[in-house]
Amino acid sequence: MIPVNFAYCRPCTPEEAVQSYTAYEKAGKKTLYYGGGSEIISMARVGSITPEAVVDLKEIPACCELKEEGSYINMGGALSLRAIADSQCFPLMGKAVGRIADHTNQCRITLGGNLCGTIIYREAVLPLLLTESEVSLQGPEGVRRLPLQKVFDGRMRLLPGEFILKVHVPKKYAQMPYLHVKKAPTEKIDYPAVSLAAIIEKGKLKIAFAGICSYPFRSKEMEAALNDTAMDITQRLNKAVELLPEKPADDVHCSRGYRELLFKNMLGQVLAELSAGSKAGAKS
Amino acid sequence: MGGTIGLNVKRKEAWAKVTGQAKYTDDFPTVGHYTARLLVSPYAHAKIISIDKTKALSIKGVKAVITGEDYPNLSGTLLVDRPILANKIVRYAGEPVALAVAVDEAAAALAAAAVEVKYEVLPAVFTPQEALNSTAPLVHEELGAYVHMVEDINPKPRSNISCHFPVRKGNMAEGWRNSRVTIEQEFFLPPSDHLAMEIRTARAEISKDGMVTITTSSQAPFEVKKQIADCFQIPAGNIRVHVPFVGGGFGGKAPVMQELLAYIASREVDGNPVRLVMDRKEDMTAAPSRAGLSARIKLGATKEGLLQAAELTFWLDNGAYTDIGPYMVKAIASDCTGPYRVDNLHCDAYGVYTNHTYATSCRSFAHESLTFCIERAMELLAEKLAMDPLQLRLVNAITPGQYTPTQVQGSFSNLGNLPACISRLQELTNWQESQPMQITADTVRAKGMACFWKAATPPTNAPSGAVVTFNSDGSLNLNTGVVEMGSASQSHLAQMLADKLGVSDDQVHVVMEVDTQLNPVHYKTVASITSYIAGRAVMRAAEDILEQLRKIGSEALGCFPEDVEVKQSRVFARQNPDIYIDFQDIVMGYKDIFGNSIGEPVLGRGTSMFKGLSNLDPKTGKGRTGPAWTVGAQAVEVEMDLKDYTYHIIGAYSVMDVGNLINPESMAGSVRGGMAMGLSMASRESFSYAKQGRGEMTTPSLRSYKAIHVGEEPVYQLDFVETPQLDAPYGMRSMSEHGIIGIPAALANALSKACGVAFNHLPLKPEDLWRTATAAGAGAKAGGSGAEAAPAPAAAASSAAFTAGPGAGFGEGGGIQ
Ligand SMILES: Cc1cc2nc3c(=O)[nH]c(=O)nc-3n(C[C@H](O)[C@H](O)[C@H](O)COP(=O)(O)OP(=O)(O)OC[C@H]3O[C@@H](n4cnc5c(N)ncnc54)[C@H](O)[C@@H]3O)c2cc1C
Repeated sequence: MIPVNFAYCRPCTPEEAVQSYTAYEKAGKKTLYYGGGSEIISMARVGSITPEAVVDLKEIPACCELKEEGSYINMGGALSLRAIADSQCFPLMGKAVGRIADHTNQCRITLGGNLCGTIIYREAVLPLLLTESEVSLQGPEGVRRLPLQKVFDGRMRLLPGEFILKVHVPKKYAQMPYLHVKKAPTEKIDYPAVSLAAIIEKGKLKIAFAGICSYPFRSKEMEAALNDTAMDITQRLNKAVELLPEKPADDVHCSRGYRELLFKNMLGQVLAELSAGSKAGAKS
Repeated sequence: MGGTIGLNVKRKEAWAKVTGQAKYTDDFPTVGHYTARLLVSPYAHAKIISIDKTKALSIKGVKAVITGEDYPNLSGTLLVDRPILANKIVRYAGEPVALAVAVDEAAAALAAAAVEVKYEVLPAVFTPQEALNSTAPLVHEELGAYVHMVEDINPKPRSNISCHFPVRKGNMAEGWRNSRVTIEQEFFLPPSDHLAMEIRTARAEISKDGMVTITTSSQAPFEVKKQIADCFQIPAGNIRVHVPFVGGGFGGKAPVMQELLAYIASREVDGNPVRLVMDRKEDMTAAPSRAGLSARIKLGATKEGLLQAAELTFWLDNGAYTDIGPYMVKAIASDCTGPYRVDNLHCDAYGVYTNHTYATSCRSFAHESLTFCIERAMELLAEKLAMDPLQLRLVNAITPGQYTPTQVQGSFSNLGNLPACISRLQELTNWQESQPMQITADTVRAKGMACFWKAATPPTNAPSGAVVTFNSDGSLNLNTGVVEMGSASQSHLAQMLADKLGVSDDQVHVVMEVDTQLNPVHYKTVASITSYIAGRAVMRAAEDILEQLRKIGSEALGCFPEDVEVKQSRVFARQNPDIYIDFQDIVMGYKDIFGNSIGEPVLGRGTSMFKGLSNLDPKTGKGRTGPAWTVGAQAVEVEMDLKDYTYHIIGAYSVMDVGNLINPESMAGSVRGGMAMGLSMASRESFSYAKQGRGEMTTPSLRSYKAIHVGEEPVYQLDFVETPQLDAPYGMRSMSEHGIIGIPAALANALSKACGVAFNHLPLKPEDLWRTATAAGAGAKAGGSGAEAAPAPAAAASSAAFTAGPGAGFGEGGGIQ
């Protein structure tokens, strides 16, 4: 039960959403955009947030869009993870979001909610980090469209009153060889100890991680090391651990040491697959 | 007789449950109820310096805010050591400190959160070992002053020891002299949760003439009545406890806690009805948990594997209050060796206070923990002897004529047939193929087994009763004090009654809810004793009915009472079965064709009480705690990935001697449920507490506390042995808890075999296995483990892992395409 009252509104256009948000804030109410609500509700229940108004984005057609436009696939910010996975519009994305929570929760969690949530994994971002994706952000000043990497540094950096209207993924990436591996500490369906997404572009590995550190990331330095065939696999793995942006996470779900073990194992498998793949490629 | 025994009779409450019509405590309308919510302690151990209710009381809709000072009364099942709300001191993080009562739940929650408490943090103890240290802080300064409800516990003042049960038998020196091989090992199991689907809740109201009515999710309605009466000095007759369906108890709803809180809440608001709401987090942290256990086991055996001596020490982590803990310690002491003959025995079992959430009974009353320690030790002994672990168990299995740890002489009736269970398990598991088997470069399959036994440890005079009334159609109503919480025990009783009276099962209606004003007394629905002790009462009620029917029948039929037979809902004279009276014409009293009134309505009554049990001798432990044992043998098969210690449980097996399989499907269901619980508990469940800072539970929600899910369970294979227990109705043994008992040990044995590292701690999460294996060093044969087939795990964990070839399995990912 959420013991405090809050206002709820469900606008039909992006402009209305921003107006409502601004009006509530002006009236002194702490306001949140509302996607699937799974995080807002669970945090409000235990009292760690106390929103006074929420603006639900799911009635806005543009936020629920899923279609190809020019050389991009557009995904609305209020699309459910399950809708994205079922559409098969981008197989790697489907894999990544199809392993977040269970089916029931996937039908509820939204793309925007996952990217903007406080839970540290934000796994839906992994494919986006590999693909030069862009985001359209709706704010009081209108819409701005820019590369995701510009507003994502482990978490979304939005301006006050802004929300994710759409994500744009260049279509060409949907065709590239990819890999998604997720390991949870005990069960298949759980928060990741380590989760990774990879694609091969022009023979080079591009890879992004969640779970291993306190935020998801893609590191160009690490990719360079992993692609450096002058080193053997063990050297590359050790280098990758050195190049982690921070020490592996260490919490009640999984210890630092075990995360590191899984990280190395999983990355080892990726490199093995990679070299097997390139050998096969060389033969054919 | 009636032929209902041995049939898969459907549960009496099946329709109510599968259609969702079954009502649980909090399903009843809340109109007219105030709501109460708790504020709990954030600290494991602290002094309460001050409590300020002002802010809480100023919240709109708040009717009362109650603290420990308002009700300093103590309560307790064996030892009266627990305040209703913490008073001056908190002893665990999660302990109730204040209770807010308001017009609705929101106001109550806000008010509880607004109570301002100042604490002064005290040092805390989190393991029995810490608690036993001579410089350890005392959890109870007043330990010597508490009232005892039973005569056989002996808390040690100025210590953290709440009880001590020793067992001494034979001659230890001789035992060690005769031993060629010995092993010694320590074991550890953390506390965990019962995790019933229905969260604990209760309602209370007090009428103007002083009648207290409690509705609660409890396994022990009569104990609720008793404890409220004792705690508040109210005549027991003024208390009425009502228990509808209970959504899972597993022992966790045998203590009396939420009822005391609901009662004081109602008392503070003029007796108005109050509904106490606890959320899942409070159910996990504030309400009692499963106890942790530490143990040191030393075994000695001849080179043929015959046990010669056992020196055993157990420390039960009882948390901050004893509740039923000391009797779990007693149960551990009386079954301490596991189901094996050990003539030279030295055992000490202690209950220890810590600053954990207090602990209570949990499915099998600590036997799953005891068995984990003993059966891991047996496995280590088998390895050291280079003997097949199944054979080792077989040659030591206790058999009729031999003596138990507390010197009860065994018989087929009180022991059942463990060797038969082991032999059947051997076939069922295809045990000759139990050695670890390499599946791929990184995966290994292995099987592990464990045996178990368990006798109940009820109070020596625990009572039960049954009343049977009739309806005008000749059908019956069975009325006992047994709570229906999923174990099908009511349905089993109905089956027995139907059989005994020779009526079909659908003629027996069961009164599912318990109301202590209406139902006959029943100790508690615990310890798997229902079929035994309530069964005895039901059998007596049936005898009572038969006697009355014979008497009325003889008058109506004009024959001797002893010639009257009762079958198929008819009463007739044996010599003339064609002339009969249907039940409906006789059970309400008989009227002949001339209008003469013959006999009177039939009413069956039967009561029972345990007989022949005794306390344990305080020096030697000699004594009898329960009427009989239930024995069994279980196994688990795993497939393990040696690179990261993840594993799948692919099979679980159980063979149990149940005495008489009176309802195969429902009994198999109980066993499977127990096995699932054991797999979940052993593979992942544990309450962790922050070692630094406040000492709070770090796993107080289902996001961080893991339990097994649908889809993760293995294939279960079961079989039964039937050696009747002669003093039990239909020879049926206690069995509802027992499916859990050997499973944690069997899983640990399988995993230890799979990677050649001894796992002597729970839980067995991949991460825990990795840590143990790493500590044991690369390829170390820890604990004397000699499984040659298993590759060196630590090597697999580092560079060797990356040689995984194509097809090594990429989880969900699939290969790069
Ligand atoms: C059972 C369960 C398991 C989970 N497992 C995983 C997992 O394995 N991996 C993982 O990555 N996550 C996991 N999560 C976390 C989940 O993805 C996040 O909590 C996510 O925030 C929920 O999305 P939502 O749409 O329900 O968010 P909401 O509760 O609606 O919102 C969350 C936050 O995002 C903001 N927000 C929502 N939509 C937008 C938008 N379009 N633009 C800007 N801000 C917005 C809200 O204001 C709020 O601050 C799990 C959650 C649950 C309940």
